[in-house]
Amino acid sequence: MAHLADAKALLDNRGHYTGQTFHGVNPLLLVEKIIRERIFESLYWKEQAFGLNAATLLDRAVELTYIGGQYSNQRPTPFLCLTFKLLQLQPSREIILVYLNDPDFKYLRALAAFYIRLTWSAVDIYRTLEPLMGDYRKLKVRGMGGWRMTYVDEFVDELLTKERVCDIALPHIKTRAMLEDADELEPRESLLGSEVESEGESDVEEDKGANSGDE
Amino acid sequence: PKPNQNFRRTWNREEWSAKAQERESHDRAASKLHHEAKLAGKKFHRPPTPPDASSTSARASRLNLEENLNKTTLVPAGAGVGKRGRGAGFYCEACDLTFKDSLQWVDHLNSKQHLHAVGERDEVVVATLEMVVERLAWLKRRREEEGVGGEEVDLARRLAERARAEEEERVQKREKRKVARRERKERERKLGKEAGFGSGDGDRAGGGGEGDEEDPDAVAMARMMGFAGGFGTTKKRS
Repeated sequence: MAHLADAKALLDNRGHYTGQTFHGVNPLLLVEKIIRERIFESLYWKEQAFGLNAATLLDRAVELTYIGGQYSNQRPTPFLCLTFKLLQLQPSREIILVYLNDPDFKYLRALAAFYIRLTWSAVDIYRTLEPLMGDYRKLKVRGMGGWRMTYVDEFVDELLTKERVCDIALPHIKTRAMLEDADELEPRESLLGSEVESEGESDVEEDKGANSGDE
Repeated sequence: PKPNQNFRRTWNREEWSAKAQERESHDRAASKLHHEAKLAGKKFHRPPTPPDASSTSARASRLNLEENLNKTTLVPAGAGVGKRGRGAGFYCEACDLTFKDSLQWVDHLNSKQHLHAVGERDEVVVATLEMVVERLAWLKRRREEEGVGGEEVDLARRLAERARAEEEERVQKREKRKVARRERKERERKLGKEAGFGSGDGDRAGGGGEGDEEDPDAVAMARMMGFAGGFGTTKKRS
């Protein structure tokens, strides 16, 4: 059992893909053709993302200093290249959870969150990513318009609500409301807990709570 | 001058003829295989990967693509043509190919052809959970040892250091300006003594102090008439 060093072999369009499928498709096809081509042609992919497995990918992931899709003249960021590498390697659930739960490297966490949003089922996504809303660390974002700053919890919120993040169209998943109605998911428990309920009582509590989506 | 001695034999004849024999026998064996396949009407296939080939792993260090940048080297004639053999550009020892373009070069290093030539299978080992956990722990330890990240940024200290650095720079600049002005004054004085007439041309700011001694009108008149440099040259001293 081994990964093929060359990712292109997994993109056989004759329909012979026999690996694990996510959302019904070959995971490499979750990324659009144009972006895929740009990733393959980038120097980062060829030089540094070649021959990685789930363990050596960590070397590259801890060196990440920004997230983003494409920047300046349509160049893919290392973050995007590593996401694509993860889609090729398809590491197991436990390994991804190790990536996600590591408290020291926030860009590794962002990478794992992105992968989870792209590949896991709706219920798992909500259950796994909502606890990350308590992480207030800053992230640098590099985009076509230049640099920006965001936070880990804002990034996770974007993953859960927006349709396009880091130049990848996120696969459609049912909204939280639909899942709650179908009884597949419990109603959301905010990390702010009791502070939200007693919000009418004191002003101090309101100022303390940073990003509470449930008003 | 010493006469040209390059015709003397400095190489070992036997050694090189042995190498030539070896290369020729290899070539003959390879062409024989090709020929046999052709006669049998079959396609010639590359010999299969030996079972002891190692699996590909990620690069431990960056590729050095810029080491020969801006360097001029002597190359044999015909170095610009084709990929085979040593030429100008990135050369691969194992495959005997030259590439002119860094992207082509990196592509080649990743290609099946090259990996087989270096004795690697073009597959990568799948990582297990233990390997991942271990790797992460190792990276954390390494980061702590290097002392990068997690250091408290003391803004006050940094501001103080910056202020000190700027003050030093200012002092140095002042010194330099003083020295330069002193030198210019020396030059002016010398010229003034020789000429007895206008100050040297071109030194407007520095010659301000000096020029007041001479009559500015006389200087202007002299310059108009072409006597600006005194009896010396009117060449501009920068």
